[in-house]
Amino acid sequence: MPVDAEKEITKLWRNLHNAQAEVGKTYYRWRQAALEIAGPGAKPLEIGLKAAEIFGKDIGKSFLPRLNWLKGEEGFMMSLGRAFAGSWVADGAIATVEKGETPSEVIIKCTRDPWPSWAKEYGVPMEEVALCRERLFQSILEDVSVFFSISLKIEMLKAIPRGHGETVFKLYKAE
Amino acid sequence: MAKLLYEWDYSEYPGAKKYPHLFKPIQIGNLMVPNRIKYAATEENLNGRDGLITDAGVAYMRERAKGVVGGLCFMQGVYMDEKRQGQGYVGQAAAWDDKFISGLKRIADAIHDQKAVAGFQLMDCGRVGAVDIEEGHGPSTVPQRLRVFKPMKEMTNAEVKVMIQQHIDAAKRGIAAGFDVMEISGIVGYLISNFISSYTNRRTDEYGGDIRGRMQSVVEIIQGVKEALPPDMPLGIRLCSEELLDDVRGNTPEESMESYKIAEEAGVDYISCTLGWQESIYPVISRDIPMGNWIYLAKRAKEHVNVPIQMAYRLFRPGLPNEKIGAGELDIWEICRSMIADPLMPKKVLEGREEEIRHCVACNLCLARLFRDAPMTCYINPMCAHESNPEFMDPPPAKEEKEIMIVGAGPAGLECAYMAARRGHDVHIYDKRNEIGGTLNEARNAPYGDDELWTCVEYQKVMCEKAGVNFHLGTEVTEELIEDEMPDSVVLATGPAYPKIEGPGGERDNVVNILDVMSGKAQVGEKVVVWGNRKPGIGVALHLAKQGKKVTIVGKDKSAGFDVNPSFKWRYMIYLRQNGVMAYNDANIEEVNDEGVIIRSYDGYHWPIKCDTVVVSEREPNESLKKYVQSEGIELFVVGDALVPRNLSSAVHDGYRIGMRI
Repeated sequence: MPVDAEKEITKLWRNLHNAQAEVGKTYYRWRQAALEIAGPGAKPLEIGLKAAEIFGKDIGKSFLPRLNWLKGEEGFMMSLGRAFAGSWVADGAIATVEKGETPSEVIIKCTRDPWPSWAKEYGVPMEEVALCRERLFQSILEDVSVFFSISLKIEMLKAIPRGHGETVFKLYKAE
Repeated sequence: MAKLLYEWDYSEYPGAKKYPHLFKPIQIGNLMVPNRIKYAATEENLNGRDGLITDAGVAYMRERAKGVVGGLCFMQGVYMDEKRQGQGYVGQAAAWDDKFISGLKRIADAIHDQKAVAGFQLMDCGRVGAVDIEEGHGPSTVPQRLRVFKPMKEMTNAEVKVMIQQHIDAAKRGIAAGFDVMEISGIVGYLISNFISSYTNRRTDEYGGDIRGRMQSVVEIIQGVKEALPPDMPLGIRLCSEELLDDVRGNTPEESMESYKIAEEAGVDYISCTLGWQESIYPVISRDIPMGNWIYLAKRAKEHVNVPIQMAYRLFRPGLPNEKIGAGELDIWEICRSMIADPLMPKKVLEGREEEIRHCVACNLCLARLFRDAPMTCYINPMCAHESNPEFMDPPPAKEEKEIMIVGAGPAGLECAYMAARRGHDVHIYDKRNEIGGTLNEARNAPYGDDELWTCVEYQKVMCEKAGVNFHLGTEVTEELIEDEMPDSVVLATGPAYPKIEGPGGERDNVVNILDVMSGKAQVGEKVVVWGNRKPGIGVALHLAKQGKKVTIVGKDKSAGFDVNPSFKWRYMIYLRQNGVMAYNDANIEEVNDEGVIIRSYDGYHWPIKCDTVVVSEREPNESLKKYVQSEGIELFVVGDALVPRNLSSAVHDGYRIGMRI
């Protein structure tokens, strides 16, 4: 029984993308539920930011066992940057990490982000997508900073919220 | 003149002649201890969830007290706060109120009944505590690395002082209960170690800062407890000699040695030398770590302090601690897991019965159970945690003597044979092989310490011989043999069956059995697929990968090593990765062909894996002889892998229980 590679890969590829899309849709369905429970006075952006904070806190916990200070400052920062990029890639993004200007700085670039497309389906403003991404990353960093006793910061330098072009974050160790 | 609780004269015992340094007295503070053996405080989850002592907990300690033959015997560490933030185990004993004293006294009395020295340990579990509540306490709010542990709340300065007083009050309860030695636990991530470590202590008040500041609360506890103790009651502390937390900026070894000096200055009478934290990424006590690997740390500790040094950590045999005590590099041999596996281990050493020791195999199942809120059990000792059940500990003689045929001289058959013979049955054990041990003969060839598993068979052989079991090796049991012998009972301990791979190619010449591979009988190519992702599959995969072969595991379970306890499984996962072994889990082999195999994932994807050899490690129950024995109306028992393929532990436990029942 020979394996039809094209058929198998196509099936896998399609199912992977469906699963990734379901992640985004599920998030926005829950956002809608939260808004309805919160009532007419609720501010959607506040709810989105709060969700990002909770998500980030939890994702941050999964970063801790994988980080190792013995790699040295540059190695540590690069592996932390890769962990950020990896969490984005899992959703279907194309995200990469580059060395920054100093060993304590790395740049995370995303050239394809599926979240704006999902948000559009649910009528969510694009700025909410960008701000929630930033809050998510900042929230991830909170426990990592405390755990390693290092003041770490992440800043969004550029956001192309429609999912095209490039979104850029700078991750760095604050003095 | 130091106080001596009980007179012991070891001079006539063979073990004292063979290991003279283990059985000579030592003065600790103002107390004379007759020998150099200590059962170290070990949690067992046998007490009430409310911290009250149970019969099971007392009986467990009584057995260990017998074992130390006059030496130190420590009960598990007690937590000391009513809020239970310091409680790290659901069955941990408590001492936060006087109501606990009567239960604690039962333990002290049980130890004294055996003329041993009773030790009491104060243990706030700190970062690994709060087992039953939502939030733990510690010097600083450092996030947990492992999700299994509760979030931390930073203690206020006032709360630190309360905690110090709780130690002193609990110590007084230990004194009232009748204990002879007091100990503070400052190890593996518990509260005291949290204060000492730069990783978890970020405080800026007098309880933080440099190593002296981080030791301040410990110093106050030592001084406060010491003041409460009678003059002939020594105080010790268990401290990390190396935290192994360099990846998260924990203490340096130099800082750890500084903490030893500070503890000595504060007034401790001995130090128990430990290493590693539960959060550490380095293995410390699993089977893959060679015995005696850490003993150099005791020597280093002795170079820094003058008080006696005690140590455990992969010191499972008496020879090395005897040698090191003789050389002045260690003072007391601490024992934990070895006395979980065999509570009478040091007693057997003393009496010259070393061959009767059931040795710990360093699998860490005991720890895995504790961390999952289950009562202690032992992989290799079926009696562990059943000490309060006389039928389990000393099964009564059989009501009717039977002739028992045991088919298979592997660990399940041997265990059953020993127990049945001990109860008065006429036991005959058969094996078609010329040697005992069953599939463990092959399994022990797996790397990373699996040769230690063989100690189980060595022990069983001796016990069977002493119990009068009749061996018939090189004899295959057939229906005719059963008919000729007509035993009253048959125990099938035949080991597992190895099913053929279903589908095309399953019977090709390059499909070989795991036993043939592990014994070197089968030819194996350079690219290998191992069919089966449980422990045997992992063992053979690592065995082949260490020979430089490219190995891929394919198995039906959702994760590789499903049958390995989590406290050891992480080691295998690392070794698989280090040796480049890929695992496809939740998958089946659909076909074996010229190129290799085609596998099918649980969700229906197919892909090929190139290989030149397929090793079958997948197992199933062994049905041979079962129907025949039943049809003849002979009492039948099936044990070990023949019943359900599992592991060595299940084989031993099955054998023991059936041996009790026949």
